Amino acid sequence: MAHTSVSIALTGSGGAGVMTAGQSLLDAAAKAGFYGLMGRTLGPQIRGGESAALLRLGTHPVQGTDDGYDIIVAFDWGNFARFHDEMPLNPGSVVIADPHNGAVPDVLAPSNPHVVMVPFHDLAKGIQGGRVNMVGLGLIAALIGLDQAFLIERLSRQLAGKGAEALAASKAGLEAGAGAAAAITGVAPLSAPDPARGERWSLTGNEAAGLGAIQGGVRFCAAYPITPATDVLEWLAPNLPKVGGMLVQCEDELASINMLLGASFGGTPSVTATSGPGLALMTESLGLAVASETPLVVVNVQRGGPSTGIPTKSEQSDLNIAVHGLHGDAPHVVTAPLSIGDCLFTTQWSVYLAESLQTPVIVLSDQVLGQSRAIIDRPADIAFIGRRRVPETLDASYRRYELTADGISPMALPGMEGASYTAEGLEHNPFGHPSTQTNFHEEQLAKRRRKVEGFDYGDPWAMTAGDPDADIVVLTWGSSTEPAREAMERVRAEGRRVRLVAARLIAPVPVDRLTAALEGARHVVVVEQNHSGQYCNLLRAHMDLPGTVHPLHRPGPLPLRPGEIVDHLRGL
Amino acid sequence: METVEEFLAHAVALEEDSAVRFDDMADALEVHQNDEVTGLFRRMAHFSRLHLAEAQKMAEGLDLPHFKPWEYKWPDAEAPETPEMDATHYLMTPHHALTLALDSEKRGHAFYADLAANNGNDRIRELAMEFAEEEAEHVALLETMLAKYPLPPGDWDEDMDPPVAVD
Amino acid sequence: MDVPLEETPVYKVKSYKSDLKPIWCPGCGDFSVLSAIMRALTELQLPPHQVSLVSGIGCSSRLPAYSTLYGFHSVHGRALPVASGLKLSRPDLTVLAVGGDGDGFSIGGNHFIHACRRNVDMTYIVMDNSVYGMTKGQASPTTDPEWPGSKLTPDGPGVAAFKPLEMALSAGATFIARAFSGDPLEVARQICEGIQHPGFSFVHVLSPCVTYRPEQKTWRERVHEGFPEPTDDRREAFLRLLDDDAFSTGILYKGRTGAFQPHAEATTRAVALGDQFVI
Repeated sequence: MAHTSVSIALTGSGGAGVMTAGQSLLDAAAKAGFYGLMGRTLGPQIRGGESAALLRLGTHPVQGTDDGYDIIVAFDWGNFARFHDEMPLNPGSVVIADPHNGAVPDVLAPSNPHVVMVPFHDLAKGIQGGRVNMVGLGLIAALIGLDQAFLIERLSRQLAGKGAEALAASKAGLEAGAGAAAAITGVAPLSAPDPARGERWSLTGNEAAGLGAIQGGVRFCAAYPITPATDVLEWLAPNLPKVGGMLVQCEDELASINMLLGASFGGTPSVTATSGPGLALMTESLGLAVASETPLVVVNVQRGGPSTGIPTKSEQSDLNIAVHGLHGDAPHVVTAPLSIGDCLFTTQWSVYLAESLQTPVIVLSDQVLGQSRAIIDRPADIAFIGRRRVPETLDASYRRYELTADGISPMALPGMEGASYTAEGLEHNPFGHPSTQTNFHEEQLAKRRRKVEGFDYGDPWAMTAGDPDADIVVLTWGSSTEPAREAMERVRAEGRRVRLVAARLIAPVPVDRLTAALEGARHVVVVEQNHSGQYCNLLRAHMDLPGTVHPLHRPGPLPLRPGEIVDHLRGL
Repeated sequence: METVEEFLAHAVALEEDSAVRFDDMADALEVHQNDEVTGLFRRMAHFSRLHLAEAQKMAEGLDLPHFKPWEYKWPDAEAPETPEMDATHYLMTPHHALTLALDSEKRGHAFYADLAANNGNDRIRELAMEFAEEEAEHVALLETMLAKYPLPPGDWDEDMDPPVAVD
Repeated sequence: MDVPLEETPVYKVKSYKSDLKPIWCPGCGDFSVLSAIMRALTELQLPPHQVSLVSGIGCSSRLPAYSTLYGFHSVHGRALPVASGLKLSRPDLTVLAVGGDGDGFSIGGNHFIHACRRNVDMTYIVMDNSVYGMTKGQASPTTDPEWPGSKLTPDGPGVAAFKPLEMALSAGATFIARAFSGDPLEVARQICEGIQHPGFSFVHVLSPCVTYRPEQKTWRERVHEGFPEPTDDRREAFLRLLDDDAFSTGILYKGRTGAFQPHAEATTRAVALGDQFVI
């Protein structure tokens, strides 16, 4: 029987080239018409460490990992014990290893996999310029029924500069692998892809966030490198100039966020990308952005915390600092993309929100969204483009922080004659003049809150799916959405009625919309990847959730998997 | 200084700078609620502007040269009738304020008197003499005013409260 | 008589002055710097709405609100990155940054170093009084190690004073000058030249604090014209600084490195950038 999705892990160390092989496999599968996803796990070494490419390929869109892997190809077992728990096995999975590396590690024994020995290194050595990763690729392609021609096309482009010998060696490697696959039984191939598919894209969440920022109107980025956010910056650096913008590398995150304030004050929509430690450094000036009403967007690609934590692994544990990290009463916006592809929409929407509301927006992406690559359908066009309200008349009556009904005051830009003002982090009167007067403090606090809480965020505030009237609601935010969605579908396939509410808008907490979305719920399962249930706590501080609340949360580094959510749902 | 235009450019700048500085000092004292001295400085600024108008009237029809602020040929760092900002104090008394003003008028007088005595241009000497005479009148006037405000006791700048922390 | 239109001064000193009155202590050196900035702008006839003035926190950082320029009173130590972001994204503007010695050399010290080496075309004016005035008179990076005047460091800070000009020169600033607030026309001249210099211009102004450092009244006697003419030779500039008693005034150094200003013309529509992801 053919599968609609297959999960594959390639593992190896010391330059085995598993990442390149994984990327080639994903690209070739994409060309062949499949959807897919590739994540990675890495050792601490900068070069030559143990690493694994973690793929899931499917006939339908897949943006989350499965419970386990169907095929593990191990070129060696270097430090496998360190990350074996990131590669659980599905029932009936096959482990393919090189006999020269000894027996399969004991940690895999409880899963009772079908073990096949393939002499990858000997096969590669038999080819002039041969490499084990090509042998592995050929083997996997044959097992899952992927036409080798797609791999050869991909390799031809990749090796274009390396001469005919390199390509010939790779082809020979693929052939050797395919030959070895012939002896392996019991692995079902993938079903044929949908021939009616439209245009599809291959991108990471970090690239999608960069694209969303630019499409939203961003033309300036200032940033400091940090794992796992650096890829956002590396994508923006060559792409911002194409639209007349620029990226500046700064001395630290303090400089980054403050350069954004300067650029945005000048009228240029601006973004930076960072991770927890960087966000912590930026919080003082995020408060300045709130007080001075200067729009900007921070894409925070979360990693394990606190402190330096686990830089290369995912966790949803920066919600607290993003929502509560600013001193004083500082209303601002926090959003979260729901999938790799949604990093595009959510970031673009966030630029629109920042510009409309003249306030900072923090986008809570994370390592697993940011650094995984997905094959997705072409994203729909997004209507949200940042537009800042500017004054209509320019004269001495202009008040930068004028009290308006919606709390949004027209913002003059340097160069506009007759409306100059001083952007102010001290509490101020409507003209922006510093003041400690009670009435000004109260008015400005209320105005800043009014604009953020009274805004019509519209339908994008959340994504809903499943049975609209189900009394079980799975409530997620950010990257916990995809595993929860898959879990919901599995439980529904068993005949249970379940609905999913996935929040893009974290703060301000959209109490009315959440209340409506949760109406009739008898069980609310709040799924998130952190140790303390930060989102659940946030909601409980703002509203009474209906029915019985089931906080379902655990920290990284292991990704949330559908199976653990299914287990919980079955128990309700 | 060689031409009448040059001379008048200096005369204009001298009064203009003086007016601006007295106004700045009045603002500073006003913020510190020293109303008496604020009033005195405002009057000084007002007088400087009256003299400025006179100098400008004399310059009518003439094409005065433009000098960058630091290019004027003043005997000291600033124009002679510009009081030094660091001579102000939030508790200063009219005695101090008038002494400050008197000093600046004396410097103005000395500036013109020197030109009247030593400049090589007859017309400049003539004009400088006129200006010096006028400054002498101001000096005399201020001396009369100052006589009404004797030197205050030595503890005039004592403040029982310590300075405060602001930001 | 006919005066060509472009020579008629449109902007006067008061064009740059706001209605807000400074809260500085009467006698403070910062008044002179405020007036010097306005005189420099008047001399250059820069339209107020085309000039932006960015500051951090401290007495001198209150300065933007006293002007009719587009001001940004930011947070402590961050004036330089705010100003850099503004100038990089809006090269059409004249950008000035102002602040004090604590703001610029202590909490903002790292930005100072990197602003010097980044060499963005803007002018940074530091009003240095060697004391924290807004928090009641603590020692700053430029305070003498023996100064006993603060309750925080009653025996003196005990740490060698920061040398702003040496630091600026080492870090790569291309315009370095020092003036004394008691000579406001010289301050104005240096600011004027700094604005015209294409790159990062650092004007260090000795600006006495009458409240916490009344002894700084003697600065008037101590300052001397140590740098009559700028040099463009870094070696010469370093030698001058080795002989500097911290009271030499004048423009020390004017380098010739071009300003950092990335510029790109748009060649693509934003929506077309997604094409690179198409399979």
